[in-house]
Amino acid sequence: MALAPLDEEITLEQLNADPYPIYRRLRAQSPVLRVASAGRTFLTKAALTKEVKDNPELFSSDDPNTPMKPAFRAHTLMRKDGEEHLRERKAMMPALTPKKIQSDWGPLYEKLAAEYVSRLPRGETVDLFTELCGPLAARILAHVLGIPEASDEEMQRWSQRLIDGAGNFGWKPEPFAASDEANDEMDLLFGQLCDKRRAEPDGSAYSVMLNADDPIPMSQIYANIKIAIGGGINEPRDALATIVYGLLTNPDQLAEVRAQQAWGKAFEEGVRWVAPIQASSRLVTEDTQLGGFDIPKGDTVMTIQASANRDEDLFENGEEFFVFRDKNPHQAFGNGPHHCAGAHIARRTVGKIILPMLFDRFPQMRLPDPGAVIWRGFGFRGPINLPVVLN
Amino acid sequence: MVKVTYVAHDGTQTTVEAEDGDSVMHAAVSNDVDGIVGECGGSMMCATCHCYVDEAWQDRVGPRSDGEEDMLEGAACEVNDRSRLSCQIKLGADLDGLVVHLPEEQF
Ligand code: HEM
Repeated sequence: MALAPLDEEITLEQLNADPYPIYRRLRAQSPVLRVASAGRTFLTKAALTKEVKDNPELFSSDDPNTPMKPAFRAHTLMRKDGEEHLRERKAMMPALTPKKIQSDWGPLYEKLAAEYVSRLPRGETVDLFTELCGPLAARILAHVLGIPEASDEEMQRWSQRLIDGAGNFGWKPEPFAASDEANDEMDLLFGQLCDKRRAEPDGSAYSVMLNADDPIPMSQIYANIKIAIGGGINEPRDALATIVYGLLTNPDQLAEVRAQQAWGKAFEEGVRWVAPIQASSRLVTEDTQLGGFDIPKGDTVMTIQASANRDEDLFENGEEFFVFRDKNPHQAFGNGPHHCAGAHIARRTVGKIILPMLFDRFPQMRLPDPGAVIWRGFGFRGPINLPVVLN
Repeated sequence: MVKVTYVAHDGTQTTVEAEDGDSVMHAAVSNDVDGIVGECGGSMMCATCHCYVDEAWQDRVGPRSDGEEDMLEGAACEVNDRSRLSCQIKLGADLDGLVVHLPEEQF
């Protein structure tokens, strides 16, 4: 067999501005494509992205040269495989299960959401992205993780710096200097809170990891909290903004969602339509084949779940936001062992609590100019502003 | 081939023919059975393939697998002594005709 075709035309700027027309073309013409500008082999069909993520022996998350290492000052669970990954993941999981979130955390989340929604001014134009989506996601996560002492501003700043450092494939010094500073601040806070979280178990991720029978090393406890900070704010923030946009630009669907109280469905459709994490990388451990092409050992493949989520094989009119699809087998939370650890939190907080509360409090909310909303991102994607009139 | 019947929360029954060695989760997902999500593909990471084994089949299906308990405990709906993660039930001739019941929701 032959190597996959090589593309030297697609630029990162194009992908960052709007990757969807490109993905649509690739699904039809070149679902396995080496993209020179990204230095990765793009996989754009749902069957291929799933195959790769479900097969961690052949497609490893363990990239020894990832900029994530210096950015997090640790080799995090997201970049580990097998037993090692499982052990660290399980250490945190008791804080993140559906039941835990429903029964123990539910009332707190309701309270936090009510607080943040009710302080929004009525009758004015408000950028929901900066005024609600980001801060509320940060506050909820701070509680889940067991670091509510951190401010919304700190949580968001740390998150962004970790992400920027982890994506610093050019290995420039400034992003690492910024993530170092964030790491210093986080390490200091975690250190200060340690004794308290150990002495007074509260079900938060930090407390659960500290009090386990056979705890993982302290360095990995810190690393796990950091990966959740890096991976747990921007995605629910972007998901919320995307769904509100989708509903406000489709008033007939909004009416039906209200009538049926189908907020959970609206959540699933929002993350399908514009996946907050659009792509993930995997390192190829053995010579293999995908979609009829040779994939050599050492290659890095990129599973583009953003594209899988609009695959014509699975979705009718996938380019459109349509809440009431028969089936919605999207891959926005990934597949396989690295399936999102925060999926249940995101579903409950955004889908079951925040969305209904927001539309209940502001039944006449409007998006006066959908064209003013700017969408950005290749690795992560969502609106970066959402000017709505609240009424 | 092994027959499996899924009884949805509203009582709807769906019977599928699965391959020997397939899991109850995978057989459902590949035959478009509603009520089992199985998002993580069987890695015991998502707790969205919870099912209740029919009483008549409980003995034959056997005990929960290593590590299943922890994840199962976190499932969205009530967990009882018939609860399993369906990704951990492997089908074989001994389970031909298996009946499982599905919870109201998986997340
Ligand atoms: C709508 C919201 C969210 C989306 C769409 C999302 C998406 C994803 C995706 C696609 C992955 C897999 C990455 C890969 O395969 O390499 C992932 C992993 C992860 N997510 Fe999320 N996420 C969301 C919210 C959250 C939240 C709220 C948390 C907070 C706890 C979180 C924590 C994590 C962690 C810790 C991992 C790594 C899991 C592992 O490697 O085992 N996520 N997420």
